[in-house]
Amino acid sequence: MKKKLRDFIFQELVFIADPAQFSDDDDLLEAGLDSMGIMRLIMFIENEYGVTLPDTEIEPDNVQSFNALEQWILRHQNG
Amino acid sequence: MSIKKEDILEKLNPADSFTLAMDEEIRKDGLAGNYGCFALVLSNIPDIEALQQRITEFSQRFPVSQASLRQIGRRFYWCKRNDPPTLFFQHHCPDNQNEADFQQQTLDRIINHKQTREISAPIEFHLLTGPKQHTFFIRWMHPFGDARGADLILKYLCTADDVQRQQFGLPETGSLVNVQLGKYRWWQKIGLLLKGKRYIDQLDRLESIQPFNSDLPPQRMNYTIKRLSEAQTEQVIKLARQHVGLTGTSLYYIGCLMRALEKMHPDNAGEAYCAPYAFNLRKQRALTPMTGNHVCALFAQVPRDAVQDRQKLFAHLKQQNAQVIRQQMDYAFLPLMWAGSWLSLTEYGKILRQSHGSGKERSSFWFSDVGRLDIPADSFPGAEIKAVFYACQVTTPPALAFLSCIYRNQLTLSYNFNEPVGNSEQIDKLHQLMLAELLGEAE
Repeated sequence: MKKKLRDFIFQELVFIADPAQFSDDDDLLEAGLDSMGIMRLIMFIENEYGVTLPDTEIEPDNVQSFNALEQWILRHQNG
Repeated sequence: MSIKKEDILEKLNPADSFTLAMDEEIRKDGLAGNYGCFALVLSNIPDIEALQQRITEFSQRFPVSQASLRQIGRRFYWCKRNDPPTLFFQHHCPDNQNEADFQQQTLDRIINHKQTREISAPIEFHLLTGPKQHTFFIRWMHPFGDARGADLILKYLCTADDVQRQQFGLPETGSLVNVQLGKYRWWQKIGLLLKGKRYIDQLDRLESIQPFNSDLPPQRMNYTIKRLSEAQTEQVIKLARQHVGLTGTSLYYIGCLMRALEKMHPDNAGEAYCAPYAFNLRKQRALTPMTGNHVCALFAQVPRDAVQDRQKLFAHLKQQNAQVIRQQMDYAFLPLMWAGSWLSLTEYGKILRQSHGSGKERSSFWFSDVGRLDIPADSFPGAEIKAVFYACQVTTPPALAFLSCIYRNQLTLSYNFNEPVGNSEQIDKLHQLMLAELLGEAE
């Protein structure tokens, strides 16, 4: 799951000179993921994983890193 | 005059043509044209030699910056010139002039400077100096680039390391609009085009409210800059997060401006406020592309009754934005822009901005939020960057463009308006109403 998220974010939304150096805990918001990017990321996740992510949960804690994103998606997949 | 094929440097992409249609309209009104401006307030006179050297290097690496815009048939191209234009100008305040007046009058003159498209340089750099006030000012023709591109050019000038400067503009991507269009098969493009058209038709069911109620023709563009304190900025960001969430700071500014305008002129005709805003196709933090427009348009539209209720307004804007992206409307205007670039500028301008329903102006105001600028304050050659602001020309109607950015934790608001359609007194009143809305102090 994280590989697909990484591919989407680094190919479509944020430029990182060396993506391999960007860890799953590194801060995506600090790296430049902006409001429009978050919206497009959420649409990608909903299409790709068949989940609905509630607007009320779009918070820094859930989108801050790849690990946080994965946990957020898994909570809804399992729910 | 005939143009040789080898003199053509670049063809305008569909987003460049989109800005050119507006340039045509602004020029027809007798104003300078569709120019964008970016100003840096500096602590002292910078290292002029270093600055000049980087500007020269920039113009050599990106030759479109010295090109002339020429029309061949219905299409427009950046072409080589025999004599490259001057790109760097210095203006020093005379001893006998008030410094603040000098700064304001000089910027005003640069912004409103009229030249034909063929003669006008795609980009100009101006340094205004005096005993205490120093401003570095960039003015660019919109078909040459967008605000994010201007930000990149500034970063280029602020990068001291030669090797790091070489990274700018790489890898060469060409037009991102064309790259995105190239991802679709022809039938998908038609599908998107129809989707975009249906979306516009739906917007046009409501007549847009205009910000001013004057029939006077525009004579010049003016601007007012208002900078919020760090504490005020923090409060605005907190409220934006509360009302529209992490995905919509720009929507908060749009909503607040709609409410401020409604309070200023509650009797102005129309049924809804409608604001176009650009969605940039560049990746965040990417150092490329440096030139060209890589944007697609989206709209925020709110019926008058919803504007009057703060909670209802932000819920509406948030839901509309989510829906637009869910329906992949963020790319729906690309085929429309591509098709539009084959029309004459006048025809394209009408389709771009006039409502099919009423034949009146679709935009209540132009809007652009550059967000948080990450240019280090100590990176400008030989001077500290104290503050920044943007400015731009705008068509009449709507005769009002609102631009925002955050630098050094301070939100800067730029109100751009065409006089005498609007005037400074009205803008001051509008800002007071806007400030109350942004800070959550209005009912």
